[in-house]
Amino acid sequence: MTEELQRDKTFEPSGVQGKLKIVLHDVSGTLIRALGTIERRGYDYRDVHCTQRVDGDFDLLVHIEDTGGPSNLDTLCKQLERLYNVVSAEKVGRRRHAERA
Amino acid sequence: MTTAKQFDRQETEVATDREPKSGSLLLLEAIAAQGVDTIFGYPGGAIMPVYDVLPQIKSLRHILCRHEQGCGMAAIGYARATGRTGTAFATSGPGATNLITAIADAYLDSVPVVFVTGQVPSNLMGTDAFQEVDIFGMTLPVVKHSYIVRDPADIPGMVAEAYFIAAEGRPGPVLIDLPKDVANAMTTQRHKWRPYPKQKPEMGESHQIAKAEELMREAKKPLFYIGGGIAQGDGVAELRELVERTQIPVVSTLKGLGSLPSDHPNYLGMLGMHGLRAANYAVQECDLLIVAGARFDDRATGKLDTFAPEAKVIHMDIDIAEINKLRAVDASLDGSLKKNLAAIDPFEGGAAPDIEDWKELCYSRRAMHEWDYDGAQAKAYPGVYAPKLLHDLSRRADAMFKNETAAIITCDVGQHQMWVAQHCYFDEPKDHITSGGLGTMGFGLPAGLGAKLGAPERTVITVSGDGSIMMNIQELATLNRYGISLKIVLLDNSVLGMVRQWQEVFFDKNYSETTLDDNPDFALVAKAFQIEAFTVNTADEVDAGIDRLLKTDGPVLMHVKIDPNENVWPLVPPGRSNADMMER
Repeated sequence: MTEELQRDKTFEPSGVQGKLKIVLHDVSGTLIRALGTIERRGYDYRDVHCTQRVDGDFDLLVHIEDTGGPSNLDTLCKQLERLYNVVSAEKVGRRRHAERA
Repeated sequence: MTTAKQFDRQETEVATDREPKSGSLLLLEAIAAQGVDTIFGYPGGAIMPVYDVLPQIKSLRHILCRHEQGCGMAAIGYARATGRTGTAFATSGPGATNLITAIADAYLDSVPVVFVTGQVPSNLMGTDAFQEVDIFGMTLPVVKHSYIVRDPADIPGMVAEAYFIAAEGRPGPVLIDLPKDVANAMTTQRHKWRPYPKQKPEMGESHQIAKAEELMREAKKPLFYIGGGIAQGDGVAELRELVERTQIPVVSTLKGLGSLPSDHPNYLGMLGMHGLRAANYAVQECDLLIVAGARFDDRATGKLDTFAPEAKVIHMDIDIAEINKLRAVDASLDGSLKKNLAAIDPFEGGAAPDIEDWKELCYSRRAMHEWDYDGAQAKAYPGVYAPKLLHDLSRRADAMFKNETAAIITCDVGQHQMWVAQHCYFDEPKDHITSGGLGTMGFGLPAGLGAKLGAPERTVITVSGDGSIMMNIQELATLNRYGISLKIVLLDNSVLGMVRQWQEVFFDKNYSETTLDDNPDFALVAKAFQIEAFTVNTADEVDAGIDRLLKTDGPVLMHVKIDPNENVWPLVPPGRSNADMMER
């Protein structure tokens, strides 16, 4: 086999981690569709929480880490928002302390 | 999660004073109400209630293919030839799993198709019942959306939403899985659904349009890189107008072919792994890449970090998730391609100034690398040089049927697919129907019959290979059953040509399992299906063969023996830059 076809780098996670908050409508298949999209786009879960809101929608909070593919959490959020019955997907994290004037 | 909640969310109106109807009848009436006239399907146990009422809906023409994969791909061919949403039916279990390749094909090529599968009765779901598979779960990664029907009263609204979702925005496949008891159940209720389009911007933000125009004014070596989104976004006319106005050169992906006519003066050809030299060099040297309806697919870009290394990027796409996915951009225009292309006017209605040297370089390279068909045929003589045959075929088809637009060509996957892309003439995107994303061998024949049924006034030619055609050869029976006038050109080199080429070039000529020298006599096979067929063995027979193919009414197959050693060139090795094109 020629050099061109050999893997040119070790398949290692780049260490991209993050938390996403995803709001889902309460419709069959939406939860598994969202979780599956996250895995298929190259991320592992570190933590998953899902709770129902008073309006009937669900808040899905996931802590994820990349598995070595191209990692871009903004793109992942857009891919999640592309799914029907996903209301929104956004990165969340510790807020910086407001700087004093 | 339940399905009932969504009706509350959508302020569902429940009407109870209607005539009682079965789920099956509601399904077919709802499909007919979407303007569907053709369904490609194959009956079986779980979907029998639907087939039982099918004859009642006179406006629906059912085409019985001979394999569910054929049904799905015929629906794709129909959708791509007509611009309408295709429809395919299959039963549960193996019927449904046989559809999956077609569903994935539609997903990767963004084709609007609604797939309906029968399912075992609700009380048996999850029990590993006979012919039960979780087709909803199995297809989650390859559908735009999907449903399991739990209540027949949902069906009219659900079907309307399914067709809406399949076609809106970036199109794609939608699956409806219908349990048998729901199909049989009678109901007087109708749950009205209110389709809820996601809020999407109609076009790029004004400051992004201004930024794009500024980049175009600054560029000395601008280049359009266009893809399948141009046609799917109904932006062909706007693209052509913008190219005419600005006089900027253009390269195309496989799916973008036909967005500009193949002989357009600004068109440099297809880029990528088997792209033309002039196109790939232009991409490597441009200083501005104006990407419209393309997604930086690896077959187009080669090694991504060497692709257009000096270029700033303007990216227009209806799918915002594609923008900045693989290549950081300098200006992004999401929303309608049609509107974005129409809105851009960087030179106040005129052409780009100061790019004459760049255009001269691009067009002189195109001329320098023009194909020498006669020279190559002379070397191959008395054998048939397939690129010349395809070049002659598409020009002669256009000349013969000059009152039509150019012929529609569908193809399978492999060497012949690349030769079609390189050597056939397309003057509209719908003229070229190929499995670009999934690369599905067996696509060409069913897609061709679907295209011909969708556009009966057009000449439709399927170009296939001896490997590919065997994967759905049963659809010859469908051609015969309905007298579908599909013209098939079967290029037979008795090998799996593209795999063999890679073995030759990248695997030290270790020809492992790629010889097909035990192929059947394809002309005899076609005749067994009562289809007219003949074989072309030498270059001297090609002209007469093309004549016979084009003049024959009804389905016809021209079997052409070609040289197994002929390869597709240029070739960019995988993982390498597009600048590293190999030649014979």
